[in-house]
Amino acid sequence: MEAPAPLRKSLALVICDIAGTTGLGAQEGDLVVATVLREFFEQAGRLSTEHHCLIIKFLGDSFLAAFENVANVMPFVLSVQSLLSQNPIFIGRSLGFKFSLHYGDALCIETSYGKDILGKNVNIAARLNDLAGPHEIVVSQVALERMPIDCRVGAGSSETRSVKGVGDVEFCRIPLPGA
Amino acid sequence: MAVSDAEPMPEIVTEAIVVIDLVESTLTSNLFGWYAVGRQSLRDLRTLIGEVGKVRGLRCVRSTGDGYLLTFFDPQSAEMAAIRAVEAVFELLRRIFARNRQVSEERALNLRCAVHLGEVDVVPNDREGPHISMAFRLEEISRASLPAALNPIPPEQFPLQNYVLCSEEVAGILSRRATHWELASIGLLKLKGFPGWREVFRITSEEHPTDLGSGMRAL
Repeated sequence: MEAPAPLRKSLALVICDIAGTTGLGAQEGDLVVATVLREFFEQAGRLSTEHHCLIIKFLGDSFLAAFENVANVMPFVLSVQSLLSQNPIFIGRSLGFKFSLHYGDALCIETSYGKDILGKNVNIAARLNDLAGPHEIVVSQVALERMPIDCRVGAGSSETRSVKGVGDVEFCRIPLPGA
Repeated sequence: MAVSDAEPMPEIVTEAIVVIDLVESTLTSNLFGWYAVGRQSLRDLRTLIGEVGKVRGLRCVRSTGDGYLLTFFDPQSAEMAAIRAVEAVFELLRRIFARNRQVSEERALNLRCAVHLGEVDVVPNDREGPHISMAFRLEEISRASLPAALNPIPPEQFPLQNYVLCSEEVAGILSRRATHWELASIGLLKLKGFPGWREVFRITSEEHPTDLGSGMRAL
C-alpha cells in the first residue's frame, strides 16, 4: 500500500526534554533511568491523546508533539509537568522538564519508522528548547501571539536569539509549577 | 606524591579530530582470523592514514581497537586544520577503493568517518577532552539513529559505510571556506553526555558519487 502524501500544516510544535537523567543514571543506575523513561513516554503518550495532540514522536529522553490548536498546548504541558509532583516514579528524583513551543508550517509525513513532522520550524522549536531551563517553557513570539490570553500568564519579557539558518527569533519564558 | 602532581598540565590546542571506524572489523577477524586477515587490514589502514595525513598536518594517530582516532593541526589556522582533515579523509576513501579492487572480498576495507574541531588536551600519542568524546559520538551515528532525530533524512538514504559525517562547527567552516564539498543535514540529534540538540551533517564530494549500499562507488 502506498504511503499517504505528505501534508503541510500550520502546527504548534512542542518539544519536551527531561533534565537530570544523566545524574539519575550515575546515582541510581541505568535500570532506574529506563523505568523513568518508560513511564514518561507512557504518560506523555496518554496525555497527548487526552489533549488532542496530532502527532507525538519520542526521541531518546525527549519528545516532539504537534497540535493543530495552540490552545491545547498549555493544558498538555501543565499535565506533563504535574507528573513530577504526582507520579511516584518521578517524585523525589531531581528531574525537570524543559519545554519549548513554536508555531509554523510543518510537513506531516509517513516514514518507514512511523509518522514524523519535518521542516524548518521543527529546528526552531529544538533551538528554543536548548534555551529552556528545567520547569520552564520557552515560547516563540509567533506562538505566544496565538495562545489564549489566560495561557500567557507569567510570561517574562521578550528576548531575542539568533538561530542558525533562520536569523533572530523572539521568544519569552514562562515558569511552570515546581520552578 | 600523587602522579598528577608530577606531571605537567597538558598542552591545549585546537585540532581537527577524525574518528575512523573499520566496519565489521571484529566480525571479519572472527570469521577469517585476526592473523590471516584482521591484523593486515588494520596495518594497511594505518599505512594509508600515514600517507594521506603526513602532508596535511596529521599529528596524532591512536588505535581505538577497530579504527583510529586522528588529529590534524595547522599552525596558521585552526579552520584550515578542519579542511585538511576532510581532504585527508576523502583521499583515504579514494585510496581504499583502489585497494579494495585489488584484494579479496574479506580483505576489503570499509569505513565510517566523523570529523569535528575543538580544543583538545595533548598527551603523548593521544588526545583528551570533551571534543574527543563529541567526535566519537558523531562516529556512532548510523541509520538506526535517525528515527530518534528531529528533521531526519529518511533512514534508507543514509549509507551503511564509506561516508563522512561532521559537526556543525566543521560544516560551518566548510561552507565558508571550501566549495568542492556538499553538506547535507541528516537531522538534529541528542548526543549522549552533551546537552541540547546538535545538527549533524554528511559531507559528500562530486568526486565520490554516492551509492547507498556502500556509501560511495568505487571509481
